[in-house]
Formats: sequence, structure tokens, C-alpha cells
Amino acid sequence: MEVMQAILERRSVRSYRPEPVSDEVLLRLIEAGVWAPSGGNAQTWRFVVITDPASIRRVKMLSPGLLGNPPAVIAVCQDLSEAERRGASLGKEMLSVMDSAMAAQNIMLAAFAEGLGSCVVRSFHPDGVRRLLKLPANIVPNLLISIGVPDSIPRPPKRNLDVTWFQEYTEHE
Amino acid sequence: MSRSMETKAFELICYMVTSACNLLNENRLYGPFRLVDAAQRLIIILEEEGIESPRLQEMRERIAAGKYSVMDDEALFTDYLQDLVVALVPFMDQESE
Repeated sequence: MEVMQAILERRSVRSYRPEPVSDEVLLRLIEAGVWAPSGGNAQTWRFVVITDPASIRRVKMLSPGLLGNPPAVIAVCQDLSEAERRGASLGKEMLSVMDSAMAAQNIMLAAFAEGLGSCVVRSFHPDGVRRLLKLPANIVPNLLISIGVPDSIPRPPKRNLDVTWFQEYTEHE
Repeated sequence: MSRSMETKAFELICYMVTSACNLLNENRLYGPFRLVDAAQRLIIILEEEGIESPRLQEMRERIAAGKYSVMDDEALFTDYLQDLVVALVPFMDQESE
């Protein structure tokens, strides 16, 4: 699949069919995630893959943004102790968040290439989800990604393409 | 495995309470969205428990049909919410048995 096709056609899916996603496929998605760029090559991301329906239901209870009934959820987490050791405060406070976002995008594009839908979510309670997933205090969840076979695919939202300047910024007329 | 009414209610309460906390720092349109989404979830629970009516079904369908406009277009979402309230009015005289 062409990269540009995946970028343009990926949608945020919020309605899934019940078919499970195999561990093999989920591991391929994670592999795509770990090949994302990483500030200072810190690679302090950690991924928790949730496929147990009861566990997904509990995570959903603390995640208002996690909509539909996905058969798999990937929690994109960061080891903040390691991020600080590798990148000082910049690594801990900013690069780790950016790394999570870049890994998440890779995962979602890889999911699209597998014929799967996905939706990245930040509307969850981080401390509550951290406790549910039994994460130690230094591992924080940054994003959740729902994964599954789409039941419906939303139409593309409008995009504002008038956001680019060459050489220097000027006020638009 | 079927879940009990109490379990379904607890899940809805978790959703609403977590939303209340998160909405302190979220997009202001997510508040109205979470409220109508919670209303839809409540109707689904009631229907699963055998409490059904044409007006509940109508509201569930209306909510589902337009709630995700919150992601696309603020004006569209605002109109949708207005229409949703207006749609309630004719149902108010219908007492459920």
C-alpha cells in the first residue's frame, strides 16, 4: 500500500465489528510503532496491548473518548524515568509525548494497511488507567488506540489546507 | 455472558464521572457531546432491560445520527443539539404505560 493512500484514507473509527485481532497482527502494529522517530533516539515508549474483553470494558469505564466496542486497545505509554535519564527535562516533558504521538500514527497507518480501523484517544483518566493496567508510577499512559475491523467508517472531515508558508510567515490577506 | 442492570448502570456512572473530571481540561464541545452520548447509553441500557418506547427509540436514533458532528463542524453540532431538544417536545404528552 502506498504511504500517501494510507495517510489520506485513514479515518478515526468509533464503531467496530466483534472479530478479534490476532496477537500476530497486533505485534506487527507495535513493530510499526517502534520504528517511529524518537527524540534523541530515547525509545522510552512502552506498549500495553489489551485484548481481554473484561479488561477493555474496565479501561472504557475510565476512558470517555474510547468509543464503540473495539476488540483490541493499545496503550501507548512512556517510561518517564528513562525519558528523563536520556533526555533531561526536555525528554521527560516534551519529547516523550511527541514520541508517543509519532508511534501512535505509525501504528494507525499500519493498522489501516492491515484492513483495520483505529482511533487514537486522549480522553481518559491517566492515573485511573495506570492503576488498571498495573503500571508502575514511572510508566504513564499517553494515548490509547482502539483497533478492530470497522463496522462503519466515518466520512472524511473537512481539512484546512491553507496552513503553509514558504520561507517566512506572513499574514494572509 | 449477559451483564446485570447494576453492572451496566455502574459502567454508565463510571463514564459520566470520568467525563466530569476530564471535561475540566477538554474541548468545551465535549461536554454537550458526553451528555447526549450518556443519554444514548442510558436508553440502550433501558431497552436491554425491556423498557422500550417509540420516543426512547426515536431519541436514541436521533442522538446516534448526529452526535459525531462534534468532530466535524461546531455549527452543525450546535444545530443538531437544538433540533434534538425541539424533537423532545411532541413526545412530552406521551405518558409511558
